[in-house]
Amino acid sequence: MAENDRIIQEFTSGEYKEGFVTDVEQEFVPKGLNEDIIRTISRLKEEPDWLLEFRLDAFRKWQAMEMPRWPHLDLPEIDFQDIIYYAAPKKDKDRPKEIDPKLAETFEKLGIPLKERDVLAGVVAVDAVFDSVSVTTTFRKTLAEKGIIFCSFSEAVREHPDLVRKYLATVVPAGDNYFAALNSAVFSDGSFCYIPKGVRCPMDLSSYFRINAKGTGQFERTLIVADEGSFVSYMEGCTAPMRDEQQLHAAVVEIIVEKDADVKYSTVQNWYPGDADGKGGILNLVTKRGICKGDGAHLSWTQVETGSAITWKYPSTILKGDNTASEFYSVAVTNNYQQADTGTKMIHIGRKKNARNYSQCDSLLIGSQCGAHTFPVIRSDNPTAIVEHEATTSKISEDQLFYCNQRGIGPEEAVGLIVNGYAREVLSRLPMEFAVEAQKLLQVSLEGSVG
Amino acid sequence: MGYGNYIDPFVGRRPDYTVGAGEKLELTFVVLPGESRDIDVAIDLVGEGAEVSLKGLYLCGGEERVNFHILMHHRAGGCVSHQLFNGIAGGTSRVTFDGRIIVAPDAQQTEAYQENHNIVLSEGARVETTPQLEIYADDVKCSHGATTGRLDEDALFYMRTRGVPETEAKVLQMISFLAAVTPEDRKEEIENAVNQLV
Repeated sequence: MAENDRIIQEFTSGEYKEGFVTDVEQEFVPKGLNEDIIRTISRLKEEPDWLLEFRLDAFRKWQAMEMPRWPHLDLPEIDFQDIIYYAAPKKDKDRPKEIDPKLAETFEKLGIPLKERDVLAGVVAVDAVFDSVSVTTTFRKTLAEKGIIFCSFSEAVREHPDLVRKYLATVVPAGDNYFAALNSAVFSDGSFCYIPKGVRCPMDLSSYFRINAKGTGQFERTLIVADEGSFVSYMEGCTAPMRDEQQLHAAVVEIIVEKDADVKYSTVQNWYPGDADGKGGILNLVTKRGICKGDGAHLSWTQVETGSAITWKYPSTILKGDNTASEFYSVAVTNNYQQADTGTKMIHIGRKKNARNYSQCDSLLIGSQCGAHTFPVIRSDNPTAIVEHEATTSKISEDQLFYCNQRGIGPEEAVGLIVNGYAREVLSRLPMEFAVEAQKLLQVSLEGSVG
Repeated sequence: MGYGNYIDPFVGRRPDYTVGAGEKLELTFVVLPGESRDIDVAIDLVGEGAEVSLKGLYLCGGEERVNFHILMHHRAGGCVSHQLFNGIAGGTSRVTFDGRIIVAPDAQQTEAYQENHNIVLSEGARVETTPQLEIYADDVKCSHGATTGRLDEDALFYMRTRGVPETEAKVLQMISFLAAVTPEDRKEEIENAVNQLV
């Protein structure tokens, strides 16, 4: 047993390799949250009046709301006045067009290609967000030829205000929940993507979010619109430096899938999880929701959650159109003091013959002091619908381990193997670049945790 | 921290049943048409080797309101609990099943299972099921499952091709759906109730 504990220890104590800080000059707005701060953010971003009004309206809604207490989490008190709501790397006046070499180096180090070159199997267009601003978006020209818009949210507000206005907050209204309201009031940057009618996006689109500055929060906003009959595969990744303080990340992602369109959304969430004693880490409290608006629309979610001190995230789909479909695949790994409250919601409104909803939730426990909880809610008002749920909680079976050991596979490697096998069904849904990264991440976050 | 947010459910509340080492508890709840019931049962398994088996059956065809609240608390290790609740909701009835299994820290080698299956017969009926697992120990085998659906069209069709009238085919399917939770001595009564429902 002692041997097992040691291996578990080693398996789970893998290093967080993305924990470095980039030393760039940054500009901040003062700490705290009030209408003046929101006006300042809006001014810095040179936003139109309607957007400032949207923010202020959301802020007023947020002030009237209370921090939700229902989650089954040890959520620390968050002092919303002790957060810097906007931080941006200073632009070098001499070469305003180019990316600061230090930032380029940061993303290079994180393995995010900002130069337009081919990576791995395919080509990926990247929107890189550093604290509150988007640093660059690649491959825009190639995409523009097809009429695809992929840019930072701020730019979309400037260049395509009608589209943004038409779709913003239509899936996640400003007053949807406490953190969505906060995000709507102070959101900084994020990605915007629009795929026109009948267009199949020729490459994966990817956003990479990086928290760098101390004492800040990141509040990005992503809006994805797939018009009639279009297809896009969108990926999102994120990391942050290692710090003793906890940092708040409250994002909103909205996806609109029109008639017969198809969206595949993948995330590898690798925010800093805090140290082995539960100090520091990112509080990842986000709202992600898509709507299959038109008939025959399809939305697929895949996520790998290995980071963050606390994750609270329920990517959801509203199946509004008839004959729409949605899937959700997720693997979450928590270690040390990490907590993850995650799952999905599927709201079936549109008609479909023999509508069916199936959910499966399995927990694998490694170590005697962890816990896993499964709280499904099934509501059915419809005599023709079929809803099924099943869940299991177990530990890695001694038999499986024994079998591996007997074949000459060491305990640690065996657990890695079993865990990867366990997660395989989800990992296989990820785009290639992500699948490789996710598999490595699973190995790292489990290092030393094997028994 | 360490055990996350485990809260002993029996602080400030008494369990309805306390099952000690080596003891065995078997309970079956039957709710027949016309009855509205709130069934609230909290069980504490406190000694090694305790075993609990809960079964529930409900049949609603009118305006019944049937609510189950089940709390199964595994305080001691090495205990086994089984739960199976099957029911049929028609008319404008409302059924809720709220069942929770909690495995306390150190209650190792626990086996806990819970299943809830529902058939919705009519547009007006509504079923809400929330089976919950709250596990604070790692060496456990726990699972739960819930389904809400309708009578199997294919099975009905099959029976009809074999000359079984539609009503009878429905009754047969419902009886077999409930068979696993039907107590031997109340078989006739339940079959009559199913007949009346269709």
